[in-house]
Amino acid sequence: MTVYRYFIKIALRNKWTIIAYTIIFFILSIINSSNSTQGEASFIETKLDIGIVDNSNSQLSNGLKEYLEDKNNIVEVGPGEEAIREQIFLEIADAIIVIPEDFEERVINKEKALEVYRDDRRAESIQIQNQINKFLLFANATYEVGKFDLEGMKAALDEKIHVQLIKEGHKGTGEGIGEWFRYYFNFTGYVIMAIYIAVLGLVMADFTDPNIKNRRMISSKRFLDFNREIYLGQLSVASVITLIFILGCVLIKGKYIGVINFHIYVINTLALSFAILCLTYLINNVTRSKFVINGISTVLSLGTSFISGVMVPQELLGDRVLTIAKFFPTYYFVRINDMGPISLLDVRFEILMQILFGIAFLLMGLYFSKTTQRA
Amino acid sequence: MVVKVRNLVKRYKELIALDHFNMEVEEGEILGLLGPNGCGKTTAINCILSLLSFDKGEVEVFGRKMTPDAYDIKQKIGLVPQEVSVFENLTVRENVDYFCGLYVDDKHLRRRYVDEAIEFVGLKDYVKFYPKKLSGGLKRRLNIACGIAHKPKLIFLDEPTVAVDAQSRNFILNGIKELNKEGSTIIYTTHYLEEAEMLCKRIVIMDNGKDLVSGSKEELKAMITTSEKVVVSFTSISDEELSEMKGLPHVIDIERDGEEYIIKFESGINNLTKLLEFIKEKELIYTKLHSQLPTLNDVFLELTGKELRD
Repeated sequence: MTVYRYFIKIALRNKWTIIAYTIIFFILSIINSSNSTQGEASFIETKLDIGIVDNSNSQLSNGLKEYLEDKNNIVEVGPGEEAIREQIFLEIADAIIVIPEDFEERVINKEKALEVYRDDRRAESIQIQNQINKFLLFANATYEVGKFDLEGMKAALDEKIHVQLIKEGHKGTGEGIGEWFRYYFNFTGYVIMAIYIAVLGLVMADFTDPNIKNRRMISSKRFLDFNREIYLGQLSVASVITLIFILGCVLIKGKYIGVINFHIYVINTLALSFAILCLTYLINNVTRSKFVINGISTVLSLGTSFISGVMVPQELLGDRVLTIAKFFPTYYFVRINDMGPISLLDVRFEILMQILFGIAFLLMGLYFSKTTQRA
Repeated sequence: MVVKVRNLVKRYKELIALDHFNMEVEEGEILGLLGPNGCGKTTAINCILSLLSFDKGEVEVFGRKMTPDAYDIKQKIGLVPQEVSVFENLTVRENVDYFCGLYVDDKHLRRRYVDEAIEFVGLKDYVKFYPKKLSGGLKRRLNIACGIAHKPKLIFLDEPTVAVDAQSRNFILNGIKELNKEGSTIIYTTHYLEEAEMLCKRIVIMDNGKDLVSGSKEELKAMITTSEKVVVSFTSISDEELSEMKGLPHVIDIERDGEEYIIKFESGINNLTKLLEFIKEKELIYTKLHSQLPTLNDVFLELTGKELRD
């Protein structure tokens, strides 16, 4: 088993590639893990602390006050600009609105209607400006037909926008844990592809170097024995890499594997690993250049992951992009991860597709291997 | 006969790399395959070893037809290729162990063989070094160790001293003699005449894919008409005196090389004495005079009309 032993040895000499990808991946997963437990499936508007100085005391200014009071907490305002600025500085108020005496006229004339003092240190204070702008826009709109219609404005302003979240996490798994698994395994697909092509590709480039290959060819090592040990080496390295990521998931979120379909994630990852291993075999039979292999590792793993919905959900990708993605096994891998709670029967098509891709890559690799041998 | 090659033809489309090439190697000898760069030496070796297919001809190694799956024959063969062919990601010891492991399964035996090979090429102090840390000469030694560690009976050394410093070259050449003494038959390709003269019992001279002649050094030199050369530097000599000199018995030709005149003689008795008598009679003054026996380069020059290193 000399060839096998040295295959593993040379693969381990490329350990920094594996370590770098693995560390970055797990750091991101752990960060994501802490975010996912605090994840929100819905949202509400934040109430700000605001002060209002109404020098107009008109129908319109009262309407504005009523509207803002409804959406924010009102605080007392001291007299004078200096007191206003002091209150903002001391964070007593997020914003203070000063309504001038000629407020209505200014609104009608579409001039600067009021003065807003905001706490620029707090990003959310911009919200008050948005609320005022919205009110004034509606006020102007109603005035266009004769007079300020405060009742109509109130009804229009109370209209709520319905926001539907595309991904709310897998219901029943609690606190978006399903979302975390989806994210983890989608990115596992990307990392597996990058590492397989880079590490196995670089090791194979050494073994298929024409000079080294010639030395092997004139040796008494049988071709079949040599290939058997090489394939065993590839399988061992690939298995260890895949296992690292499956075990990593158990280590980080082990307590949840009983409440999600963990076995489906594992089977899915194994199916993708098989397909990518065969893809690596194909690439190794097409090129021996380490430079090209490194390039393919980066471009193919990132490219296929992106178009298959690893980084951006498939729902947000265009039809054309998804059509192209269907020619890569990663697409079917991501589809399964995105399905949520399902049975093995539900994903049989996607699993089968990944295996078929693997077989196709293997056959193409064998073809190129024969062609190279004949040359 | 360890190797027998008959009428080997190898073509790359229009290019004829081997043109009815013949060669025979006897057991225990060092055979030099001599020829200029690109004459087909490496192609011949690759065809003999079944690394390349050929269009016509027969190759027998150890009395049997050589084929890609003749593993029992391959077991007895070692190759030291022209290029340094080792793994950059393995240390010196690991490289030798890997290539030895392609022939020897037994762990203990292999360990002994690897130690001996490393000792033999003088890399004992570098076992944990990666090839990129070795000098050109040391890399060549590693290349040799990887080819001979399994103790082959027949070793092909393809220009093993190319781009090697003088110290490493001597080390390698002495090592080859040592391997031969231990019983290995060696086929040594080179375009360095002095190496072939120093090492080889028999020499095959190749050019344009053909074997021009073969035999021992003496046999090859005896094949050419020039049997002796005398190099003289005259203070002055007239054209008339030169043409008279050309008329001396057995003189074939006189060439001028700067201040020196190279007078070529065919086989004859007392050629030098007759030349000295002529110089005395004409009262010619010379600053330097010495006699040379023909070299392999003269053989090559006379056979092909060109210098070996052209």
